[in-house]
Amino acid sequence: MTTTMKRATCAATLTAAFLSLSPEARAGDGRLAIKVGRIVTLAGPDIENGTIYIEGGRIVSVGTDGGRWDAEVIDHPELTAFPGWVEAHSTRGMDRPNENIEVAPFLDVRDSIDPINFYFEDCLRQGVLAINVQQGNLCAIGGQGRVVKPFGLTIEDMTLRPSSGLKIAIARPGRSRALQAQAVRRAFRDLRQHLEKLVQDKKEGKDTARREALFQGRDPDKDENKKGRAMEGNAPWKVANLESIPRGEVDEKQEPLLRLVEGKMMAFVACDGAISVVQALDIARENGFLANTVLVLDGDAWKAADRIAEAGVPVVLAPQLLHVDRDPITGKEVETFVPGIFREKKVRFALQSLNSSAQSLWFQAATCVGYGIPRDEAIAAATKVPADILRLGDRLGSIEKGKDGNILLLNGDPLAVTTSVQFVVLDGNVVYDRSKDVRVRQILEGVEQPNASAVDSGDGDDVDPHSGASKGGDKKSGASDKKKD
Amino acid sequence: MLPILLAFATATLPAISLPADGPLAIRAKFVWTGGGRVLENATVVISGGRIQAVGTDIAIPEGAELIEHDGYLTAGMIALHGATGAVGETQDSTRTVMPEARVGLALDGRARDFGLLRDAGITSILVTPDASGVTGGTSALVKTLDGIVLRDPAHLSLVFSTDALSSNREPTSKSGALALLNALFTEPRGVAAEARSGKLPCLFEVREREDVGRALAFAAEHELVGTLHGAWLSGEMSGAIAKSGLSVIVPVLGVGTPKRVLDAVARLEKDGIVFGFGLDAPWNHADAMRFSAALCVRAGLGRQAAWQGLTANAAKIAGAAARTGRIERGLDADLCLWSGDPLDLASRASLVIIGGQPVSMNGAASAAKESQR
Amino acid sequence: MTFLSVALVALSVAQDAEPRAWTIQVERVYTGTGRNLEKGLVLVSAGKISAVTPGAGEEDDRPNDVLKAYAVTAGLVDAGVRVTNWQSVEQSKEVTPHLRVADTLDPFALDWDRQLRGGVTTVLASPVDRNVIGGLSVVLKTGGPESIADRTVKADAVLRGSMGSEPSAGNHPAFGRPTDFFSRRPTTRMGVEWEWRNAFFDTALNLNEEDPGRATLVAALQGKLPIFIQAWTTQDIRTAVFLREEVESRPEFAAAGMNTPRFVIDAAAEAWKEPQLLARSQTPVVLPPFPTAGRTRENSQMAWNVAKVLKDAGVPFALSSHGSGDVEQRLANQAGYAMAGGLGFEDALAAVTSTPARLLGVEDRVGTLEVGKDADLVLWSGEPFQPGTRVVATIVDGVLRYEGWNAVQGAAIAR
Repeated sequence: MTTTMKRATCAATLTAAFLSLSPEARAGDGRLAIKVGRIVTLAGPDIENGTIYIEGGRIVSVGTDGGRWDAEVIDHPELTAFPGWVEAHSTRGMDRPNENIEVAPFLDVRDSIDPINFYFEDCLRQGVLAINVQQGNLCAIGGQGRVVKPFGLTIEDMTLRPSSGLKIAIARPGRSRALQAQAVRRAFRDLRQHLEKLVQDKKEGKDTARREALFQGRDPDKDENKKGRAMEGNAPWKVANLESIPRGEVDEKQEPLLRLVEGKMMAFVACDGAISVVQALDIARENGFLANTVLVLDGDAWKAADRIAEAGVPVVLAPQLLHVDRDPITGKEVETFVPGIFREKKVRFALQSLNSSAQSLWFQAATCVGYGIPRDEAIAAATKVPADILRLGDRLGSIEKGKDGNILLLNGDPLAVTTSVQFVVLDGNVVYDRSKDVRVRQILEGVEQPNASAVDSGDGDDVDPHSGASKGGDKKSGASDKKKD
Repeated sequence: MLPILLAFATATLPAISLPADGPLAIRAKFVWTGGGRVLENATVVISGGRIQAVGTDIAIPEGAELIEHDGYLTAGMIALHGATGAVGETQDSTRTVMPEARVGLALDGRARDFGLLRDAGITSILVTPDASGVTGGTSALVKTLDGIVLRDPAHLSLVFSTDALSSNREPTSKSGALALLNALFTEPRGVAAEARSGKLPCLFEVREREDVGRALAFAAEHELVGTLHGAWLSGEMSGAIAKSGLSVIVPVLGVGTPKRVLDAVARLEKDGIVFGFGLDAPWNHADAMRFSAALCVRAGLGRQAAWQGLTANAAKIAGAAARTGRIERGLDADLCLWSGDPLDLASRASLVIIGGQPVSMNGAASAAKESQR
Repeated sequence: MTFLSVALVALSVAQDAEPRAWTIQVERVYTGTGRNLEKGLVLVSAGKISAVTPGAGEEDDRPNDVLKAYAVTAGLVDAGVRVTNWQSVEQSKEVTPHLRVADTLDPFALDWDRQLRGGVTTVLASPVDRNVIGGLSVVLKTGGPESIADRTVKADAVLRGSMGSEPSAGNHPAFGRPTDFFSRRPTTRMGVEWEWRNAFFDTALNLNEEDPGRATLVAALQGKLPIFIQAWTTQDIRTAVFLREEVESRPEFAAAGMNTPRFVIDAAAEAWKEPQLLARSQTPVVLPPFPTAGRTRENSQMAWNVAKVLKDAGVPFALSSHGSGDVEQRLANQAGYAMAGGLGFEDALAAVTSTPARLLGVEDRVGTLEVGKDADLVLWSGEPFQPGTRVVATIVDGVLRYEGWNAVQGAAIAR
């Protein structure tokens, strides 16, 4: 317990260190001009010696005009600007990724995301600037996810988009497929029965639902809650006369599912294999949310790529990009490069990080290039495509006028192993400076902190509470050290 | 001459009381001599427990009983690898290196299980030590009647598979096991010396192809002869095995054996390797051996090659080719008459003769025979 | 051209495959000798490299088979592969110097194909370090005839052992009755070190005449057989170095003529902490795979700049993947991580080719692209060691043992 608390204190102070903006980076009244040797816009050709001008958190211009007189300027001709990477699905960053409740659409990761979790620090370090945090796969229907930035002291500060989608798991380890699929189907059946009962009770003049709403702390007479609405969406089943029910009276446990069925919420459906894919698509069609479905794949799910292409849904690929099967006759291993399959079938796919540290999204995109995906498509699979999948394509995924001012400053090619993130700008503020990143120096150079204890968690977080004033703290570790050849 | 026609279709039959020493003649439609020849409408004359004559044009001697069989007559089958009569006696957990142990001494020739073997047409079985130590001793070839010993010791068992390894006793590793085996053959004494001189063949217990590789290298280094048992895919190394001169015992193959394994057995024939079939009785039913051979034939193994594997070549591997395994003048009269094609699983052994004595008829006479003793 | 979805099958070559004559055409030849070519050819015949020349190959009218790629290097050499099953080491005793890991290797194991897919052509296979002194490691090719003997480059190449806690893990003190033969020493680090010193002293003082391992220990102490000793943490590295210095200075060893051992520290994750200790005793090092978050086995802290630190201190070092089959852990990626830690490309290339070849004593055969050496080559789709580059072909002794989809060549080469 003490160790955890100590880590928490250290991490909080560390985050505070991040937050204390260096004088260089304090934007003048929300205006920031970034001058770099190259801008990789992902929206056209790269721009040499360009300037990105950000105001009010948004990119106002991208070009070679040299900046504005009234903006704070960051001038790094040796660096490359790049849009932040986008993680389409992650189960990290929470207190714990799984709950014991099988059908829990009323849960929200807002309540379990931990802003000082090291995961977000790692995301900044690796340049992942938007993360769709979802619950894990040990559920039938999990809670609502949220797209967050890896920076902020509170969840509200971090949020890019709340209620990004419900997590559904079609298969679950330790459970038979039949049982799990039925659990998912039953959840929708229960929703239907609940709504029909509401309508029936209302007809008979009972007010149980209203009393239940009050008990749950909702005021059924307030604002939007008062209004009733007919059931919307494209589900093959509809509940008649739903408009007679004030929406506030719908049980809070069922309400998110209703939103899903009405097409107002996304679903991230975890499929552990090809069989699950078929089941997932069926359940989505049966309940009208196919158009809002994103499949999160694993195992041999790529074998169902044709069905996925037919259904027109996008996918998030498993971190393992090479799937290994054993040939039953020769016994030899057969490797299949999964992204290649989806590219061939023209299915939109987003990548997931292998881990939050050394093999993050850039590594996955680079691996794709190695196996034959054209470079711009590989990069898109970890920037534009996940941004679009998360319905944030107008804000993230490239450096263009009007998008969020989220920029990485890199000391080399984004896909090279020797490149690292030197600075991160989020909403026009510099929130990360590698030269002040204590943990990077620990991992890279083994620099130990003066008061670090020998007892630690074993994953390398020896963090000193006085990190801001540590002996080597003010020395720039030297961006040039990392760039070689 | 009183021809005695025996009706093989019926189940109830009188106990046979043919005198053991009197001459017996069997005339059958097909005779598989085991040397690769198939004779049609041939006669075999037996006397004094041995085969006196085989041919299509044989004169039947005075006073001989004649059996006319409208079907197949073959040599009795020889099961290579099993523990019938010595169940529980083939393994000693106290020592991993026990070359002088002789399974033949632990054998009960009158065990009931032998009756099941006879009924299935198996006239001899090679009883082998367990492969649970580096060497469990020597094997013995016995007839399935009265435990008549044909060869003891028949092989020295040497184990190259991970069965010899243990997690809490030496050896724990393949290198440790090999070191113990090498030590056995450095200034060898006793059975090891006999094996080294080539007089006593070795039984190399293997499982994976890498075990076969190690066994072949070991045999070459110490100039050993013998046979490999236990590797389903040994056929895939048939080139190296052919060069080594070792033979192969194919383990029992059951329903669902992968095609790759059956193809490997066919390669043994193609590359001219002498092979036979194991049984691991009594854990496997006596019919399982013929079933293995039939599966292989179905997948492409030659019929005569399969049958020789069950009889003549099996005798060669067991070191008893001079005594049994073929229908040839001078060899023991260990024969079998079949109700149909011997490689057809619907057939059964109608009459089994060991040493000139009928011991089983349609699977029913064993019990009767027992009671006569 | 539907090249992307091609399942990448390890090419299974017939057992008696003859080496072919090849012409390798690339944009970059990285020979590993310091001389590199832009647009060059490597010619292979009879299993050896027959020429390394500039040129684009248009005028070449040899009947060779042609392979094209972006870059070519010598086949990678991994000096730290462990055979990770308990049957690779004889645990009935803690000190088994004479036992050979080559006797435990399976030429049919899938691990070899995985190494070939990663461009590794030569490995030092060692037993897993459950014993203090586990036995003799073997240098062999990852592809070739299906027999360990035929793949062996150098038999009994290295004496393998370990410091630290791994050899004592699994041993337990016998409180009351011993339950199995693991109720024995050593149970601590000092016990492990004692086993080493005991074996060495017994050998020098000739107290172990009957021991089958004696001859091996004598050869090791005389420097004829290098000793690879695993030591992850600083304290274990120190222990190993001090043990060597003890052997070099104590009169018992000098008197017996056994005071010139050659140590190589394997898995020296914390070598960056005291590089001068290694430099002064001229002890080379094999590094373990880079951890992602700072700490690795035995809770050792491995900084990513360890290779650069060792290079600057003049300590010879090789990189290793420990035989991992995971794509991100492959030896080629380890070289990339070393570069991310500040090591230059040529030094990274040396650390996975010529340096380990030299440490293993097989530099006359492998490790660089030079005429006369074994034709062990790796063809790359881009700059080697970048995650965006993959191995497109691996040749061992002039036989193509792995090929995958290759942008420059097109679809997998039809034969």
